[in-house]
Amino acid sequence: MALYHNPPMAYAQEPTTAPIEHRFNPYSDNGGSILAIAGSDFSVIAGDTRQSEGYNIQTRYARKVWQLTDKAVLATNGFAADGNNFVKRVKQRLEWYEHAHHKPMGLKSIARMIQTMLYGKRFFPYYVYNILGGIEEDGTGAVYSFDPVGSYEREACRAAGAAQSLIQPFLDNQIYFKNQQPEPGAAPFIPGNLPLGTVLSLVVDSFTSATERHIEVGDGMEIYVVMKRGRTTDDLLGDNKLAPGMTIEELPSLGESVGGVESEGEGQGGERTFLVRQALKRD
Amino acid sequence: MELNGGSVVAMIGKDCVAIASDLRLGNQAVGVASNFDKVFPVNDKLYYGLPGLATDVYTLKEHLRFRVNMYRMKEEREITPKTFTHLVSSTLYEKRFGPFFIEPVVAGLPTPTELDPHPKPFISTMDTIGCITTPKDFAVAGTAADKLYGVAEGLWEPDLEPEDLFETVSQTLLNAVDRDALSGWGAVVHIITQDKVITRTLRARMD
Amino acid sequence: MECSFGLTGKDYVLLCSDMSAGRSIIRMKSDENKIKTLGPHLAMAYGGEPGDTNNFAEYVERNMRLYHIRNHYPLLPEPASAWIRRTLAESIRSRHPYSVNLLLAGYDTTTTKPHLYWIDYLGTKAVVPYAAHGMGVYVSLSTMDKWWFNDMNKREGVEVLKKCVDEVKKRITINFNFNCILIDKDGIHHINIESEDPISEYEAAQPKDTVVEAPNPPLDVGVTA
Repeated sequence: MALYHNPPMAYAQEPTTAPIEHRFNPYSDNGGSILAIAGSDFSVIAGDTRQSEGYNIQTRYARKVWQLTDKAVLATNGFAADGNNFVKRVKQRLEWYEHAHHKPMGLKSIARMIQTMLYGKRFFPYYVYNILGGIEEDGTGAVYSFDPVGSYEREACRAAGAAQSLIQPFLDNQIYFKNQQPEPGAAPFIPGNLPLGTVLSLVVDSFTSATERHIEVGDGMEIYVVMKRGRTTDDLLGDNKLAPGMTIEELPSLGESVGGVESEGEGQGGERTFLVRQALKRD
Repeated sequence: MELNGGSVVAMIGKDCVAIASDLRLGNQAVGVASNFDKVFPVNDKLYYGLPGLATDVYTLKEHLRFRVNMYRMKEEREITPKTFTHLVSSTLYEKRFGPFFIEPVVAGLPTPTELDPHPKPFISTMDTIGCITTPKDFAVAGTAADKLYGVAEGLWEPDLEPEDLFETVSQTLLNAVDRDALSGWGAVVHIITQDKVITRTLRARMD
Repeated sequence: MECSFGLTGKDYVLLCSDMSAGRSIIRMKSDENKIKTLGPHLAMAYGGEPGDTNNFAEYVERNMRLYHIRNHYPLLPEPASAWIRRTLAESIRSRHPYSVNLLLAGYDTTTTKPHLYWIDYLGTKAVVPYAAHGMGVYVSLSTMDKWWFNDMNKREGVEVLKKCVDEVKKRITINFNFNCILIDKDGIHHINIESEDPISEYEAAQPKDTVVEAPNPPLDVGVTA
């Protein structure tokens, strides 16, 4: 057929016009990375704050991690516009739920809701990888990770985003103790039981490593720590618990006490969420 | 690279270097052999790894064996890690427009001389056409390179003693290749010190 | 639409290949021998681009024979594999590469050890205890993963090979006829892998009835001073 592609006859060479087609690509990738690690009575959800497109840095501070309720924090990564919009709609659904049921939605219910919301757009997906962290009904720290169309799983830890391939094997080793064996006679390793100090160090190490080797990761880091109600905060707020350059603030409770009744408080208030920030290496 | 799979990592320690690789040889997704070594000795102070296209692994290994033997006979001395790196580099650049699909990693301890009684441990790595990088910490290559970067960046620290370096390089390799479908199927580690080379085959996941 | 596999045992190596030849979905032959004997203790099962295959196999055969005539002893499996690999590795970067995949099987008479090499058209060489090319990869590799073990005797080895053949017949929709050889200290012999009990049949037969003719030049053929 190639032979006849351009017929040798001159009259067949008449100029033709055709409209130049432009196909709109509704998606983009905005880089960055997120991760979450569950503890026995806390959960840590972190993300960097760089937002980029290709080699262009759009901003050095864009949020990827969002407080949803007093016991749930959601990290989004992938296409930022979709991520922001998705969080907005999740928050809206949570508000509707609270009005309808006079209580905030539980963590595992949020997880299931996120699945249905993602799968609802199965054929025009939110191009977003989600990681949900927080405190479960039974008081344990939990991490749920999602793919863009809603497959999800509860895990002890998860990394996602541009530096997933750098961070996840490190977490496999340090959180799941993969390829490690306890000393003979020592207690077996149980994933998801590490102390908060260790977990924070691992999060910081993960992001400094990713910053070192990945151009899309850097600028700043936001680490959300959700603590079970009544848990001590000494290992976070105590002297010299944070590395130099870190700042910490406690986020005010989102819980609206419905009907003037303090929601089943045990004297010490509810779950507490802290936000730790740190700048990432600038070279 | 993605045809046969495979990865190599090298690290610097205190008066020692380590180089390690997986043992898989695949044909795309199908595993063919679990005894395919990618790290070869030049002498007892210098090793190099050749992850990439398996046919070129053999060809380059044999070619370098020939070149090093010729060097040894002509010069009547052993080749230094730095010279060897340049030998590999120029061998690769010779094929600039039809390259060997290999990203070599070299690891060695230079022999102390009168001019330099305390030589530093040496590692280097190259791209497929021989552009040299000489890192101060570690070098990675192969299909699990990005994973190796992440784990090595988290685990490596300066001045590790041989046994600690062995643990660091082994954990780095194993955890990285476990997240790579094209690497794994066993692993081998060489720790090079001034007086001996420790070679260990690791028990790894075989899936 | 090709299928070949091989395995090593304690003091022998087995090689098995289908016998079909054709183009795309059409089979023109079902009795084509695609195992080439390269020496008294060396053979290869080959497949790939029709034309390239036979040409390359004969090229290898003649070079092995030439080496034998010149040196009065055949090339051992290891150096033979290196030579074949190199030939293919040089070919792949030439203007007309051979597109031939092969399994090289040999018995090393000096060490009494069996050898099996998996070699593809790029010149990739793997030294393996058992291997497969073509469609055999998808069923017989896992069969051999499960049943193969170290130092199998001939009966055990043939049993495993038969399991592979059965698996191919069961799981692959194409009908294959199989051709099988065994190489040991006595040379190359044919095994009727399609029979119920190949090894008993083989042991009952006279050696001269199962022997596969292999190039083995007489010692007085050669260059004399």
